[in-house]
Amino acid sequence: MARRVKRKRGRFELHLDPRERELLRGLLGELRGLLELEAGDPRLARLYPDAYTDDPEQADEYRRMTHEELKQGRLAGIELVEASIEERVLSDEQLTAWMQAVNSLRLILGTMLGITDDDQELMFDPEDPEAQTQALYAYLGGLLDEIVDAQLEAL
Amino acid sequence: MSAAPAEIQLPSTDDDVKPDRPWIVIVWNDPINLMSYVVLVFQKLFGYDRAKATELMLDVHHKGRAVVSSGTREKAELDVFRLHEHGLWATMRQD
Repeated sequence: MARRVKRKRGRFELHLDPRERELLRGLLGELRGLLELEAGDPRLARLYPDAYTDDPEQADEYRRMTHEELKQGRLAGIELVEASIEERVLSDEQLTAWMQAVNSLRLILGTMLGITDDDQELMFDPEDPEAQTQALYAYLGGLLDEIVDAQLEAL
Repeated sequence: MSAAPAEIQLPSTDDDVKPDRPWIVIVWNDPINLMSYVVLVFQKLFGYDRAKATELMLDVHHKGRAVVSSGTREKAELDVFRLHEHGLWATMRQD
């Protein structure tokens, strides 16, 4: 399969089918909605980990200090991606925002799918009620992999 | 670096004033983040080269965790925050 993200003269070409862009636009809207869920919603657990494992009081304090800033940063990132969703060439800053948004979506979908093992093989069964979530998770993983590879080439 | 002013003569008993033990930042293995993504984040956030970032990522992957940075409490908290921004499972504690 031809690569969808190519580094070129300090910028990044994005070869995405219009249907992929449409899919991503929809997912960004869903991500925004998910970020508005209550702070303790289990689907968001991986986006706001405990900073202190052995000190619940400190962990709470850190969460109070950082939760809103993390959330606002993610919402601002979504706006950057939405503003460039039709672009054929992205700056490093724009591609980084794409990467973060795609990663946040994967973290939420992976949590919803209950993925707990490295290299867990997802058995795809179209009859499975989770089939759509699994397909999205796999799709986003492939796209993220390409975004990361292009960024690694640039370092 | 400027020379210390002559009037500041530390008493010879200063060895009972121990510097604070450093805080360490730990990244834990998680089954969702891509290995390549973790390498990229370590390179971007900490300026590690590819070899060092890959070594740390493999430690996380195989040993379940790795210490990725250390320093003052403020620095550790900032590093943890930046790792959380990137969706990595990072914690901190005093060494």
